[in-house]
Amino acid sequence: MEQPTLIEKITHFFESGIFIYGITLLISYSLLAILSLIAILRFQKEDRYVDYNLLITSKIPVGISVIAPAFNEGLTIISNVRSLMNLNYPRYEVIIVNDGSSDDTLEKMIREFELVPVDFAYHKRLNTFPVRKIFRSSNAAYSKLTVVDKVNGKSKADASNAGINAASFPYFLCTDVDCILNKDTLLRLIKPIIDEPRKRVIATGATLRMANSCEMDEGGITRVRVPKRIIPRFQEVEYIRAFVLGKMGWSAINCVPNVSGGLGLFDKDIVIRAGGYDPLSFGEDMELMIRMEAFCCSQKIDYAVRYIPLSLCWTEGPSTVKILRRQRIRWARGLIQLMSQHRRLLFNPFYGRLGLIVMPYNFLFELIAPVIEAVGIIYYIIMIITGNINTPYAIMLLVFVYIYSVMITTLAILWDQITYKTYKSWRETFSLCLMPFFEMLIYHPLVMLFSLRGYFNFITGQKHSWGNMQRQGFSNTPKK
Amino acid sequence: MTVNILIADDDEVMLQIIRSVLSRGKGFQLFIARNGKEAIQIKEKNKIDLVITDLLMPYANGFEVISAFRRDPETAGVPVVIVSSIGNEEAVIEGFKLGADDFIQKPIQVGEFMSRINRLLAKSSTNLP
Amino acid sequence: MNIPVQTDSFFERFFRQNFFYFDRYPLVIKIAVLLTLIAVITILVAYSSILLRRFAAYLREKRLHAIHPHIDELLTEYVLLNEDAMMQVPVEEVRLQTEVFLSRQFRKRWQKQALIDRMIHFKKNVTGDISMLLTRVYVETGLDKFSMSKLKKMGWSSKVIGIVELTSMDMTIADVTILPLTNSRNRTLRAEARNAYIKLSKNDPFKFFDVTMEPLLMWNQLELFRTITTTEGLSIPNFARWISYSTNKSIVAFCLKLALHYNQREAIPSIIHLLNTRDHYLRADTINCLGKFMAEDAEEKLVHMYFNQPVNCQIEILKALGRIATGNHLDFLKNEFLRSTDFELRKNAAKSIIRHQALATQMIQELLSNATTENALILKHCMNPLIKY
Repeated sequence: MEQPTLIEKITHFFESGIFIYGITLLISYSLLAILSLIAILRFQKEDRYVDYNLLITSKIPVGISVIAPAFNEGLTIISNVRSLMNLNYPRYEVIIVNDGSSDDTLEKMIREFELVPVDFAYHKRLNTFPVRKIFRSSNAAYSKLTVVDKVNGKSKADASNAGINAASFPYFLCTDVDCILNKDTLLRLIKPIIDEPRKRVIATGATLRMANSCEMDEGGITRVRVPKRIIPRFQEVEYIRAFVLGKMGWSAINCVPNVSGGLGLFDKDIVIRAGGYDPLSFGEDMELMIRMEAFCCSQKIDYAVRYIPLSLCWTEGPSTVKILRRQRIRWARGLIQLMSQHRRLLFNPFYGRLGLIVMPYNFLFELIAPVIEAVGIIYYIIMIITGNINTPYAIMLLVFVYIYSVMITTLAILWDQITYKTYKSWRETFSLCLMPFFEMLIYHPLVMLFSLRGYFNFITGQKHSWGNMQRQGFSNTPKK
Repeated sequence: MTVNILIADDDEVMLQIIRSVLSRGKGFQLFIARNGKEAIQIKEKNKIDLVITDLLMPYANGFEVISAFRRDPETAGVPVVIVSSIGNEEAVIEGFKLGADDFIQKPIQVGEFMSRINRLLAKSSTNLP
Repeated sequence: MNIPVQTDSFFERFFRQNFFYFDRYPLVIKIAVLLTLIAVITILVAYSSILLRRFAAYLREKRLHAIHPHIDELLTEYVLLNEDAMMQVPVEEVRLQTEVFLSRQFRKRWQKQALIDRMIHFKKNVTGDISMLLTRVYVETGLDKFSMSKLKKMGWSSKVIGIVELTSMDMTIADVTILPLTNSRNRTLRAEARNAYIKLSKNDPFKFFDVTMEPLLMWNQLELFRTITTTEGLSIPNFARWISYSTNKSIVAFCLKLALHYNQREAIPSIIHLLNTRDHYLRADTINCLGKFMAEDAEEKLVHMYFNQPVNCQIEILKALGRIATGNHLDFLKNEFLRSTDFELRKNAAKSIIRHQALATQMIQELLSNATTENALILKHCMNPLIKY
């Protein structure tokens, strides 16, 4: 037998590397699918007899502060704030942080809710841009409401921190003013915290969905619909997979990497001691979660982060490729920034599951996945051009990967349907089920390219359009 | 003379119970609202003599309903009863501050409920000019 | 990569018949083809279960939608508007036409379940005679047996549902049935069984307060609190017993709340004694409880211990002094307000001073005129009626 040449050695190493990588990825997806199914079925079982009314009849229920930053939301601010004030929970406050809006957001609120500036003993535990004034309503019917008016801090993180400073209760719900919450959100999210025997639950979250084509009014969503436009519809599928299959699976083994910025209930004490949101981060929600978990490890707090499989929050997703591109570039920057910031956690046994599972997974299968994928594709193209490939085998492998990804996404849709029959008509459900077939071909390559662009921007240190654009990232896409 | 009673609650069963309990009394005309917004709309269109409202409701909560009644000079004197499962004293005090006349915690006891309603109706009718 | 395969399993045969060259594929490709097929099957199964689930959910909704108004109608006519009940006839003697609930519409399991669920819903909203009548309907139609049968099922969740139904309907469950469940390995079942035991046991409802070693979670406390405070005819013990002797901190904390709810002032000495506990969370709860009792006897001790306490207890002491509000320790509050560097301590001291109302008017004026900007802001914050917390 001939000795393999160097090139052959490299090719072999490369091929088996990618092969092992791919296999691990596929296996971890399958494991997540199984774990999430177990978690969902268990949740379902319990949820059949849990009487959430217990919290309402309670004499001293746990108080929750709902914090929602608002930047130039003049068009919808009133109905959004109203909907936040009519949640089904007996003891909570709503803190709207007007992040130096240049439109009439503040004026509208002052008029509608009869706000007056008050001498508010604002305890600055987290550093933020200066707070100008704090308003309370002179109408006792709106006594839940506090409006914090601050100088624009150029990030949602800064505004959220100001809200946390003004909050009076031990738990806070972080959301966006334009997110539409299910009216039982607080009841549902507080339950895992007060019904946990061993650990300290530092955050809980639930599924987010696209609000794009839903019918809604001040009271919330009146009719859930599958987004009509193609880009949001892809995202709906993506979110279902990420939350119902991903986060639920991670929650089952207490390895949740991130509680979404659109909806999450947090233990205020831990958040403040961990340092609050980082205004310089591009992915402030995940960054905070990782920092909180690391903080708990260093303080020897036996923590848990829990997810529940219910859809409680609807957010407006990017409806065009252009806006999606901006959002994903930002997310990718956030991820790479976070990984480089917290690289000391990676494979560090001191941080337990955070160091050995959460960080490695996100490093290997979130951060460098687009890179490996891109390299793989280029490699295949070269192999095809040079004729070094067994075409039928390559096609078979491709078909396998394609079908497998369709399967995972379809399972996610099924898991979601187990918890709740979200869409009214089977037609809508069917139209959603079709998306996995196109996702690999259309949506996924786009997202991959945007991610690579984000990494590129980060590495070359290119300035992200700072300022108000930044908050436009996630759920702040322009309203129709 | 008919007495117009506005009932605002988002629980179908509770509405059914109050409706049937009140149907025993004579001369009650009932207006049903399934949320605070509907209640306020009904108030605009009809002359209401008594309000029975829940606190936690969508669209507009009970506090807003009470406030809407109290702030309108024409309805400022209309008796308002809160019927809610809320156990949090703070919220109940809030309701009284806004001008509610009575608070009945769910589950209600029918006899007691009726006597409280009747007492409020009697009181308000003696107060009429 | 070409590994010859000797075994001839079902799959091998299947593939050889369907894929011409299967035997000659490399192992990786073989596995890929195999998994592709599994994935395709899984997708098809997933689709059909989505369809089936949707159809089942649709049927369920439709049925319930149809049956609920009917149940409401029956319950209204025969229970809410029962003529005997309106005439103040004692509940046991009221004539009930239970046969309407035994009609053909309530033969099937789901129909029975719908009826039970709706009756529980009614019970949540109404108490007294009507509620007792509902229980009579439940028993006389044999629905209690339907719920009882769930207790005999294997799964813990069926048992829990059974217990919840029976307790919601104010039924008695024999001690022999419920006691074994209070020691179940499943936490939820255990908690529900205990809850039921307190509600239903004639002998010693609070027995497990003595024996349980595991912490009573906040959620279970809420549940127990509701059960204890709403169950009619439950004889309320003196909770000082557990406050003094229980070694289970969560039971002690829970009994503090109960003693307060029942205004058992005779428990105050035991509670004051509890201030010596080493657990500072429990100590904070204890101080909070004393404050709400407005226990004047505790004031001296609270002030005395103040400086050795962690912040959470200090905050509770300041709050308690504001609640007790005898005015004896106004100067202490004032000094603490001026001295402390901790924002929360100053805020709570200010709040407590203001709670003294008339007693403190002069002091507040004095403080306001001399205070630093931040302290003045704190005072104004606490005095502003528009600000709640």
